[in-house]
Amino acid sequence: MTDARVTGAARYSEDLDLEGQLYARLVRSPVPHARVLSVDASLVPPRCVVLVPDDVRGLARYGVQIEDETVLALDRVRYVGDVVAAVAAETPREAEEAAALVQVVYEEVPAVLDVVDAVAPDAPLVHDEIALASGGAAYFGMRPQPGTNVCHRFQLHHGDVKAAWGQADVVVEETYRTPAAQHAAMEPHACVARWDGERLEVFTGTQTPFNLREELGRIFGLSADRVRVVVPLMGGSFGIKTFLRTEAIAAALARKAGRPVKLVLPRAEEWQTLNRHAAVVTMKLGALADGTLLALETTCLADTGAYADCGPGVAQKMGFAAPGPYRIPNVRVDARCVYTNLPPAGAFRGYGQMQSAWARERAVDLLAERLGLDPLDLRLRNLLRDGDTYCTGETMHDVHFAECLEAAAAAIGWREGRRGKGLSVILKGMQTPSRASIRIERDEDAGYTLRCATTEMGQGARRAITLLAAEQLEVDPDCVRFPSPDTDVVPYDTRTTSSRSTYMMACALEAAVQALREDGTMGEGEAIEQGGLDPDTGQGIASTHWHQGAAGAEVRVDEETGKVEVVRLHCAVYAGRVVNRPGAELQNEGSMIMGLGTALFEEVVAAEGQVTNANLSDYPVPSFADLPGRLTHELIEREGAEVHGLGETALPPVPAAIGNAVASLGIPVTELPLTPERVLAAAARAVEAPA
Amino acid sequence: MSTEPEWLAPASLDEALALRAERREGATVVAGGTFVGILVNSRLLAPEAFLSLQRVAGLDYIRANGDLRIGALTTHRSVELSPLVRDGWPALALAFSLVASPRVRNQATVGGVLADADYASDPPSMFIALAARVVARSVRGEREVPVDELITGFYETSLEPDELVVEVVVPGGEHHATYRKFRSRSHEDRPAVGVAACRRPGELRVVVGAVAGRPQWFPDLCDPGAAPADVARGYAEAIDPISDVSGSSEYRRRVIEVEVRRALEELA
Amino acid sequence: MTLELRVNGADHQVEARADESLLTVLRRELGLASVRETCGIGVCGACTVLVDALPMSGCLLLAPLAEGREIRTVESLGGEDPVQRAFAERHAFQCGYCTPAMVLAAKRLLEENPSPTEEEVRLGLAGNLCRCGSYVKIVEAVLLAAGKEREWTS
Repeated sequence: MTDARVTGAARYSEDLDLEGQLYARLVRSPVPHARVLSVDASLVPPRCVVLVPDDVRGLARYGVQIEDETVLALDRVRYVGDVVAAVAAETPREAEEAAALVQVVYEEVPAVLDVVDAVAPDAPLVHDEIALASGGAAYFGMRPQPGTNVCHRFQLHHGDVKAAWGQADVVVEETYRTPAAQHAAMEPHACVARWDGERLEVFTGTQTPFNLREELGRIFGLSADRVRVVVPLMGGSFGIKTFLRTEAIAAALARKAGRPVKLVLPRAEEWQTLNRHAAVVTMKLGALADGTLLALETTCLADTGAYADCGPGVAQKMGFAAPGPYRIPNVRVDARCVYTNLPPAGAFRGYGQMQSAWARERAVDLLAERLGLDPLDLRLRNLLRDGDTYCTGETMHDVHFAECLEAAAAAIGWREGRRGKGLSVILKGMQTPSRASIRIERDEDAGYTLRCATTEMGQGARRAITLLAAEQLEVDPDCVRFPSPDTDVVPYDTRTTSSRSTYMMACALEAAVQALREDGTMGEGEAIEQGGLDPDTGQGIASTHWHQGAAGAEVRVDEETGKVEVVRLHCAVYAGRVVNRPGAELQNEGSMIMGLGTALFEEVVAAEGQVTNANLSDYPVPSFADLPGRLTHELIEREGAEVHGLGETALPPVPAAIGNAVASLGIPVTELPLTPERVLAAAARAVEAPA
Repeated sequence: MSTEPEWLAPASLDEALALRAERREGATVVAGGTFVGILVNSRLLAPEAFLSLQRVAGLDYIRANGDLRIGALTTHRSVELSPLVRDGWPALALAFSLVASPRVRNQATVGGVLADADYASDPPSMFIALAARVVARSVRGEREVPVDELITGFYETSLEPDELVVEVVVPGGEHHATYRKFRSRSHEDRPAVGVAACRRPGELRVVVGAVAGRPQWFPDLCDPGAAPADVARGYAEAIDPISDVSGSSEYRRRVIEVEVRRALEELA
Repeated sequence: MTLELRVNGADHQVEARADESLLTVLRRELGLASVRETCGIGVCGACTVLVDALPMSGCLLLAPLAEGREIRTVESLGGEDPVQRAFAERHAFQCGYCTPAMVLAAKRLLEENPSPTEEEVRLGLAGNLCRCGSYVKIVEAVLLAAGKEREWTS
C-alpha cells in the first residue's frame, strides 16, 4: 500500500475535528510592553465564548524552565503578539470577526528590543521576578540574575585563560551575530481540546506530550491521570512544536464553553509564537605560531524574547558547545539567556549550536589567516581525538571529527585550491540527563505493538524504531504496529527532541525485547543517561553522546551586487550505525537546506517590536531553485557502533562553511544571513581596514 | 458576521461594462483572481461585490499582425509559452516566465497585472520598455493609454472607475529587448530590482521596476548612443528607491546601476 | 451562495461565501484534507489543485471561479499513479504535508515536458515549498517517473 503521505490520506492535527467543536481565535497585543488597563468583550456577540484575563487568574503559572507565563497575559503584555484574550465561535470566520471586537486598553511602558540593550544596567525589566520551574524540562541548575533581564547564566572555567593570552603568539577577537529565524513548519500549530467531566483531553502536534501533560496538569490543578495528550502526525516542527504553546488556551476555552475547541494558528501568528534565538557571540582565540590552540574565551547572549520557554537550555548548550570540537587547555565561557520585548524564542533545529558554531568557526578561519596557516591544517592540528578531555572535564569517546572534516574537505576539492571555499566542524550535545521508555506487546495475530512517546514530525524516528524493533524481534517490519503517541497508553518519555529519540529508544528497545522474551506477552524497557553540568563552572558531563559533523562549501560572489551563490555543499556526519537509510539521508539533506536558508536569507525582521516580515513572501525559505548546483552528504559509519540521532547535525556547520567560503574571497562577514547587502558592506569594511 | 459579498458574473463584455458603470468602485473586478485572493485572504479587501470577468468570452487571445495584441484575460502562462510572443517579443515571454510560479502564471492575467499596478510585478516594466499601450473600454467608449501613463503609483492607475482593460498592444518592428530580475534573497523572492530595456532604431528605453511606486523610466537619460555605464549611473542618480526586506534604498541604488548596465550590455 | 463544483470527476453542490477560497471549500464542504493551507498567499503551493489540468493555488482561487471547471486533487489519483509510485520508491517526503501538492505539480510538469532535465524539474517545481527539505529526493522521484536518473549539474 502506498504511503498515506503520498495518497493524501495522512491526517494531521489540523485535520482533526471533534463533534460539536467551536473554533478559536486569539486577541494579541499590538504593543511591545504595556500595562493592560482593561479588556472589554461586551461587543462580542453572546453566542461566542470569550476568555478574558479574569477567567484565568486562578490558574497556575507555567513555563518549562522558568515559570513566567500565564494562560493569558494578565496585567501586562510583554511583546507584540502576547495573547490577552481568546474567542470561540461556531465558525472560524465568526471567531475571527468576534476577536476583532474585543477592546483592550493599554498603557505603554518602555520596551527593550535588543539583546545587548537588555543586559545594560539601566534596561527596562521584562519580568520583575524570575521563578524557577520544577518540572521534567528543568533538568539542570538554573542561574537567573535577579534584578536583570538575564534568566539564566551558564559559565565554564577550564584552565587559566588570562595567563594564556600572554603566551599566545597570535590572538584574534571578533563579535558575531545571528538573527531570529522562524521554523515555518508547513503545518501551523493546531490543537483540539475537550473536557470529559474533570478530565482534559488534548489532541495536538507536539514533540513533548509528557511535558504538555505535566504543564496542563499544573495549570488546571489536575493529576496526571486526568490529562490525556494524543499526538497525530505533525506537518513539520523543527522545534516550534515543543512544550506548551496554544493548548492551555484551547483547554480553558473548551472548559468555559462546555464544548470541544479547535485552535489553528493563522500563518502570521507563527512568528508571534516561537522563533529561533537571535544571538550575539564574541569569540577570542589565542594560539602559538604553529597553530596550537592555547585559549578560547566567549560570551554568548541569547535573545529569548518575552518568555523564557526552554531558552535557558538553549543558552547553556550554545555555551558549552561554543569551544567546539577542539583541544584547548584554557577556556572561559559566559552564556546568558536574556529577556527582551520580542516574540519568545525556543527550540530550533540545532538548539543554539548554529549560533556559537557561526562565531567560532569564523574565528578559527580568522586565526588561520593571521597565522598564515591552511584552515584545514589548523583545525586538524587541534581537533579532539578519542580519549581527549573536553573543556567540561569529560573524556570523549567514539570521536570522528577529523574524519568528518577531511571528508568535507575532500568533497569540495580543498587541497586543489581553496579560494571561494570554506569548511567548518561542530559538535552537538544530546540532552543529558535523559530518560526513555518503550513497551512491546505481543498481539494475538502474532504481530507486535510498540508503545512509546516518540512523535513523528517527518524525521523518520518512528520508522527507525520500527526497523530496530523488527530486527531485534526477528520479524518483518510489517508485523510491527506503532500507534500514535497517547499519554494514556505509552510509558513516560522525556521528549522527542535533541536528536535523542532513535538513540535512546534503541537502548530502551533492547531491554524491552529481553523483558518480552521473559514475560511472553509484554516487555518494557528503559534507558537512562546520567550526567549534567555545574552551571557555575561548566564542569561535569555535558552529553553522554556527541553528534559530530562537518561541512564544506564552495561559493561564487557577484562582486558588484554582493549576491552569494553556493555552487557546492557537502556535509559529512558521524552516524554510528544507520538504521533507516532513506530517513537518515533525508534528515541530512533537510538540515543542510535549512542551514542554507539560515546562511543566505532567513531572518525575522522587527520594527518597534513588531515583526514586519511575518509571511512566506517577505520571509522566504529555500526552494528547489535555491539549491546549490551540487548538494551531497555522507553518513560516516563504524561497525558495531551505537545508533546516532541525525535530525540536526548537518545544520549548524553549514552557515559557517558558507561564511568561511565568502571570507576566503577577502570578505570578512560576521553577521548572518549573508544578504548581498551585508556582503557588500563587509567587503567595503575590509577595503577600508585591511586585516 | 460580515455581510456576504455579492458575486457578479456577467456573460458578455457589454454586460460587464454595464455593471462596471453601475457599480464602479463598489465591485472589485476579478480576472484571474490571484491578487484579489491575496488581498481577501489577508483581510485587506472586503468588497460589497466582486465583478468576475471569467465568463466574458473573447478576451483570451494572442495575435500578431505587425503589432502584438493580447487579450486582457490571457494568462501569464499563455504569454510565456506562446510561439508568437517567443518569436517576435522574446523579452516579453521572458518577463512573464519569471513571475512567481507556474501555479500563479496559470491563473494570473495580463489585464490583471496591469490594472493591479503592483510595484514589484515583472511585466509592467517590460511593457513600458516595449512602448506598449492598453485598450481601456467603458460604456462611454474606448481609448488607448500607454502603459507608462496607466500606472500612476503604488497600486494606482489612471483607469476611470467605469473602465476595464480589454487588450494590450505591443508595437512590432525591429527591436532588441531584455529583462533582468534581480532577487536579493530566495529564487522565489519578488524582485529587489527589475530592469527592462529595449533598443529600436534610434531609440532606447530603459525601465526599472520594483524600486518605487511605479516603473521608473527617464526618456532624457535614454540616449541611444550613450555608454551603458553612463546610462546606468544616470538611472542610479535619478531614482529614489524604496527600502524594504529585499534591500535598502541605498543598496537598491547600487543594484540599479549594476543591472541597468548589464541589461544594456546584453543589448550591445 | 450555492456553487456547483466538479471535483475529482463528481458533481457537487456546496454552500460557500463568494470571498472564500476553493481551498477552504474543498476542505470544509468536501473533506478533501490533502489540500492544505500553509502561507495563504500563493507562495508555498501546499494548496495546489489541478484546474482543467493546470496547477493553481487553491488559496488564491475564489471558490466561485472554480465553477464550470474540472478540479482534481491527489485523492483522485488512487495511489498507483506513476508519480506517486516514484515518490514512494524514492522516499521523497518527510512530514508529507506538502507531498500531495508536489505530486500534482510534478504530474503536470511531466505532461508538459515528459523528459525533463534535472534543472527543468527544479525550476518547474520551485514554487512548491518543502520545509523539511526533501528536494533532492523529490527531483530524483520526478526523474524516475520520467524514466530518467538524476545527474548532478555542476
